[in-house]
Amino acid sequence: MERRTFLVRMTGFIMGLIGLILSIPLVGYVISPAFRRHPQDWAETGSPDELTVGIPRELSYVVTLNDGWLKTTATKSVWAVRQPDGAVTVFSPLCTHLGCGYHWDSADLTFKCPCHGSIYNINGKVLAGPAPRPLDRLPVKVDNGRLFVIYKEFRAGTPRQIEL
Amino acid sequence: MIQAVYQWLDQRLRLRPIEEMLLNEPIPGGTSWVYVFGSATLFLFLLQLLTGMFLAIYYAPTPDHAYDSVQFIMSSVTFGAFVRGLHHWGASAMVVAIGLHMLQVYLYGAYKPPREVMWMVGVALFLLTLAFAFSGYLLPWDQKAYWATQIGINMVGTVPGIGDALVRIIRGGDHLGALTLTRFFALHILFLPLMTLGLIALHLFILRRVGPAGLFEERRTVGKSGAVRAERRRRIASEPFYPRQVFMDAVVMGVVFLIVVGLAIGLPFPLADKANPSDTSFKPIPEWYFLFYYQGLKYVHGPLEPLATWILPAVFYAVLMFLPFIDRNPARHPVRRPTAILIGIFFLVGVFGLMAVSLKEIYSVPTTEPSVVRGQELYAKLQCNGCHRIHGSGGAVGPDLSYEGKGRDRNWLIRHFKDPQGVSPGSIMPAFSLTVSELDDLTNYMLSLR
Repeated sequence: MERRTFLVRMTGFIMGLIGLILSIPLVGYVISPAFRRHPQDWAETGSPDELTVGIPRELSYVVTLNDGWLKTTATKSVWAVRQPDGAVTVFSPLCTHLGCGYHWDSADLTFKCPCHGSIYNINGKVLAGPAPRPLDRLPVKVDNGRLFVIYKEFRAGTPRQIEL
Repeated sequence: MIQAVYQWLDQRLRLRPIEEMLLNEPIPGGTSWVYVFGSATLFLFLLQLLTGMFLAIYYAPTPDHAYDSVQFIMSSVTFGAFVRGLHHWGASAMVVAIGLHMLQVYLYGAYKPPREVMWMVGVALFLLTLAFAFSGYLLPWDQKAYWATQIGINMVGTVPGIGDALVRIIRGGDHLGALTLTRFFALHILFLPLMTLGLIALHLFILRRVGPAGLFEERRTVGKSGAVRAERRRRIASEPFYPRQVFMDAVVMGVVFLIVVGLAIGLPFPLADKANPSDTSFKPIPEWYFLFYYQGLKYVHGPLEPLATWILPAVFYAVLMFLPFIDRNPARHPVRRPTAILIGIFFLVGVFGLMAVSLKEIYSVPTTEPSVVRGQELYAKLQCNGCHRIHGSGGAVGPDLSYEGKGRDRNWLIRHFKDPQGVSPGSIMPAFSLTVSELDDLTNYMLSLR
């Protein structure tokens, strides 16, 4: 190899190496927090005794959210349904179609979404409208007579339940 | 492929003449490893620009959030501590590189006509580099940052007449706070980088107009070997900048880069405690490149103080700036400039001497006593840092022990180690069963924290 060619190639090699060594950590630096999950803790949301079988109730509770270096609290809600056997089913308050908030229609005994007309029965099954899957159930437990849930969000509009 | 794209562009933009102008600049006396420091400085500046942009992605410039956001970078962002380490050590390396660059230019007399303007632009770039260092130091908003900046600003206050007004303008008000942080941030990431880029462009433009200075006079007879070397240099008379000088520059950039990477990995730069304006006990130590000056300040008191805080620095920068007009000796070879070289040597001996004294004082004060060292080991072994924090590292369950040695006496500490609840009721600290000598070591370690 000619001396000149060698110098030119070595220059390019060194520059390329510096670029490579820099680019890997810098890319990781930018994208890492974007894909990090913060496991949520159980949040207390009232007592199961306040619930009546056959009448869903919207319960609210406070969750702590990690927002970078900030910890913020937000009030979230769930729809809770008491089953005849005493167990409690908890639904995410977002319609599985596009994430609107639905409500309980006590005349029809159905959950109705005001946005695009999806209708679910008391067990979360889709009765009508564009909703691609049943209402999303959230983890729930009763501890010492208090009701606890874990806050989760799921992707809207997919037949399969995909946690965000 | 690259050739084809280049040719396509060249047909339209006529790039060839520009390429020739940029690369074929002749260097009188040939290429040399001595000429690499300018490129090294430029490379480090670009590295600072890059890592700085990335740090800004997660940094929040308010007193409420600055410290927490830097803490977030350090602990929660992948490679965050590494990127911050690159920026920190890159700053140090840039000060070294610009210092070596100026030294080489001084030694080679390259500031003399016709390169006076290039030198002056260079001195302005040096001042901008120091402004970068000073403004960047405040941004993490930890104790070190806060108190070092406090001192720096107060020194400006000793300038007669306009001192107070200057201090208010730098702080953005009557105390160091939110307004200081936002203006230092804007200065550090917007004003200074743009000014620096502009002046670098000017510096390089002048370089291309007047050409590099190259070796001193070709025809000097400086002893036999010098004459032989000059003869050899003359044979290659003037060598183009590309590819040999570019290659040398690239090699040095690679080496400098690896050093900075090594420092960022091997010597992490931890945060101190969060800035606390009410804690006046904190003893800040400036960055190593300001240490000589910090040490010098210790020797002047009373009426002489302004001499050190602003008169000498002002005179120094003025002399530096107007050096080409002060030093009228036309010779460039060091041997024919004994005064300039002697002054340079005195200056270097002074700076490095003060720096050595300062380093010795800093490192001779704490934790050299064997008992203190054993206590420190015991502290680590018992995992006291699970609950207690010392200068920002450790848990926050128990009290912060960073300055424990100040408010406590030996007896209290020993009694407390033996029976925590007996001395401070309600404390959740467990009692450790320690031997008498272990108690003594741990107590000595606590007393050394101040």
